[in-house]
Amino acid sequence: MIQQREPTPIGRVVATELKPATPHQFHFWTANETTIGIGAIVRVEEPGERPGKGGGGRVVYGVVTDGFAYSDLATPLHDVVGAEGDPAKATESPTVRQEIRLWTAAVLRQHPEEPLQPVPLGAVYVASDADVAQALRMDAYVAGAQPTGIPVGLYTAAGLEAPVYLDADFLLGPEAAHLNISGVSGLATKTSAVEFLLASIFQHFPAHKGRIAALCFNVKGPDLCFLDRPGPLDEADRRRYERLGITPQPFERVRYYAPFKADGVNLNTLRTHPDLVGDVEPLVWGLAEVLDFAEVLLNRDDIDAKADAFIDFLSDRVLNKEFDDGFGGSHRVQSFADLDGLFRAIFDGLELSGRSDMWRTHHIATIRKVRNRLSNISTRCKGLVTDDGPSNDLPWGRFEDRTVYVVDVANVDPLGQDLVFARAVSKLREHLERRDLGVEAVVVFVDELNKYAPGDGPETYVRKMLLDISERGRYLGLVLFAAEQFRSQVHRRVVGNAGTTLFGRMDADELATPGYHVLSPAIKIKLATLPIGELMLRHPHFTQPIFVRFPRPAVLRGRDGVERFPPGADLPFEEAVVRQLVRLDRRIRPNQVKDLIAERRPDDVRRALAAVRRTRPDDALAYFRRMLGARVAPAAAPAREAVPPLNPISEEPY
Amino acid sequence: MAGSWVDAILAAGAVPASYVPDASAGRTDVEEFTGADLVEDAELRTRSVADARPLSPGAVGFLDGIEQWRVVGYGGVTPIVRGYVAAAVRRRGPDRRLRTGSEQSRELAITRLESLAAPVRRALETGGVDVVEFAAEDAGQPARAIQAARRELERTRLALERELAERCLAGLGPDEWLVVDGVLSDSVALSAHPRAVGVIKSHGAQYFEGAELERALTLPAGHRTSVFEPRSRGARRAIYSWYLRFWPWEGNDLLYGLVRVEARAHPDTLARASALSAWLERERSPLSTPDARWDRLLYPIHDVETYLRSRAPRDLLSPPGSRLPRTGS
Repeated sequence: MIQQREPTPIGRVVATELKPATPHQFHFWTANETTIGIGAIVRVEEPGERPGKGGGGRVVYGVVTDGFAYSDLATPLHDVVGAEGDPAKATESPTVRQEIRLWTAAVLRQHPEEPLQPVPLGAVYVASDADVAQALRMDAYVAGAQPTGIPVGLYTAAGLEAPVYLDADFLLGPEAAHLNISGVSGLATKTSAVEFLLASIFQHFPAHKGRIAALCFNVKGPDLCFLDRPGPLDEADRRRYERLGITPQPFERVRYYAPFKADGVNLNTLRTHPDLVGDVEPLVWGLAEVLDFAEVLLNRDDIDAKADAFIDFLSDRVLNKEFDDGFGGSHRVQSFADLDGLFRAIFDGLELSGRSDMWRTHHIATIRKVRNRLSNISTRCKGLVTDDGPSNDLPWGRFEDRTVYVVDVANVDPLGQDLVFARAVSKLREHLERRDLGVEAVVVFVDELNKYAPGDGPETYVRKMLLDISERGRYLGLVLFAAEQFRSQVHRRVVGNAGTTLFGRMDADELATPGYHVLSPAIKIKLATLPIGELMLRHPHFTQPIFVRFPRPAVLRGRDGVERFPPGADLPFEEAVVRQLVRLDRRIRPNQVKDLIAERRPDDVRRALAAVRRTRPDDALAYFRRMLGARVAPAAAPAREAVPPLNPISEEPY
Repeated sequence: MAGSWVDAILAAGAVPASYVPDASAGRTDVEEFTGADLVEDAELRTRSVADARPLSPGAVGFLDGIEQWRVVGYGGVTPIVRGYVAAAVRRRGPDRRLRTGSEQSRELAITRLESLAAPVRRALETGGVDVVEFAAEDAGQPARAIQAARRELERTRLALERELAERCLAGLGPDEWLVVDGVLSDSVALSAHPRAVGVIKSHGAQYFEGAELERALTLPAGHRTSVFEPRSRGARRAIYSWYLRFWPWEGNDLLYGLVRVEARAHPDTLARASALSAWLERERSPLSTPDARWDRLLYPIHDVETYLRSRAPRDLLSPPGSRLPRTGS
């Protein structure tokens, strides 16, 4: 809906020798009582002629970046003299001094664009819907045969609420991609903004660009645990949704993944309310899944070429192969338990044979170090990494359109979080390169980017991978939506490659860092005091930052979710097994399960349970009984498709 | 419009000029001893206005005018002056802000037509501009002619101010006053109106002698003199007047912060002279700086001047550059 432009001017451009109008900036005054403020978009018309009517009058769109007010008071001392030193008397003056509201605006767009000239000294109008679209160059992608506009919020100023759209080609690739959002914590802005934007993307992603999904890592609390549940919206929110053309509803398809706790049966997530926990899939990885990303585990402290070579040896020559240890033993390593058996055989063999400290050119110290690291992950991430049993992973190759995949690693050891992140993103990259993920584009949402891609500190695998996504992901459809509290502390190439940037309320210290020097003091003050639900937005089509307001996401906020759906207490082992089996087959009676697992080793029970979960048989109880009867043989691992190594990252960004 | 008649006279043979004479001294009081009759006291006294309850009208109009001029050409040695006069009333309501109530302006050419060559004269007469002539005896010596032109311009401005003031009086509300920058006694309507007051900043006229003169001119701050009636001079009407000091003069100048107030010659004026004075004293704030006359210039009057100057033709102002001859390059 295009609103009619109010033809009454609200100001006039003024230019002096000291404050001239330039092609990029101009100044204008308004009445003291005005609806204009910092961030408002205005339109300047060259006097005398009507643009677009054959007269060729220049029209300039600008955004207000600074404001000044002053009176005709020559010096403050004169005010003191006039009030005879009494501040109370100053307000008793019969006449109010003449004042001015003088504004500085940065040029967003000129029409005609060539020749580029100083802003004419014309009348200033409040921008209308159509003006906002013109000013932000949205006319190029919101209309047309294949529109690519994604609503991001409402520009609100001077009583106007004009939708602002991002260009999908520049938000999700291939022209540019990635989104970065900064802001202080605790104002429910960063996560809310991403939730709202994902909903907007899912409803407005252009059909010609194919299918899209999102993979969100829940790294703190219950933030993303209730995306499928409706949240409260007020009238203003509903009006904003309507204005933006978005249906306010929770995500239709959300798949939750969470590792187990150390007991191997209770899920390590806050979405454990009995009504909801059934939707949460366990995320369990075995040796094969971990070994591909062993570098994640090793690069923190003491990666060296020898350890690296030994891990490569294990991956290439040992894993999932019949392997002779050289001491007469034969091994087929498919799990951490199998691998530990091999390590024991090597150590025993070397000790008994009295031979040197070398085994197949690898020093025993290197072997011990690798063993320690690998056993460390299976200990620290017990529940995510299984010592001995089948894995349960994200549905690689079967990603569904408009589906959010939430991986809850909030309570996982940081090392495990790195591992989950590295493996999930690498698998995404691998499948997107092969075009067999199931969707053409995936948005990966990572919070706490300060932690994963810090500007300083040691080079980590995760940071290298984030750099790789930010620099090359747009060609693949792998799009990074990242959030952090302090943008200045994130690797500059990660934030620099984000085509779209959002800023919530910012900390004053953060605003004092060099990255914000391009912003005027007024914009900084506005940023430091932004209310919840308002953001500053930068996008490749917008020549200046724009303030937008977005409605509350239509999903249940994490903290509201845990109040409405309090997490269930950890169940005793038996009860947890019963619940999981009943979820798979409603016909199962709890006592049947309890009788079956009585006096059985928990590891055997977990293995059998995992086998049922993986196989999904028609008669789950019978299958569970059969699996319990003997050691559950791990499934034959499919032929491993090596994950392509990351391209070497150089300091050269191009 | 200005450009058209100036171009026409230049095309007709007038020699172009661009000269803004030194600013006039503004509207001055009569520079002679006239004498006055005391109406409040037997002899001139000083009275404090500190205890008086200030008059507080619901609305006030402030009237002032400006004049600007430039010599734009010479016909022989006779200057042709382009003049601009304007006046405005800025009205102050309960919100204490000043807004323009009414305004008027006029552009004119001032010269001596018979001293000009026929083509230049014709160009002026048909140029669509009001032509005002100074006296024939002033047409010879250019310096005298320019001063005569200035006097004509001032007369035109005063007439414009008077016209605007009288129009404004007709629409004055029951609780509304009109404060005029200058004397009231030039106008019948102004001098007879119960809610018109004139504030005179210049003190050319001498109404007292001896001790009374000294008492009047050494008036302490926050004091007024007894009300007196200046003796009639020519066409001037009966008016009541008194001196009022806004700021202490000691350490400055004798006339520093000193104004003379004029109001209707009526017993009511006598009764509220102190209340009027207390009100006007309140008007000294806010200060009308950076105007050099800020010690006597009421801020609203300063505001009217600022308003008028902002709307005056820009090409009548003194050029910022030097008047050195142009070089060939």
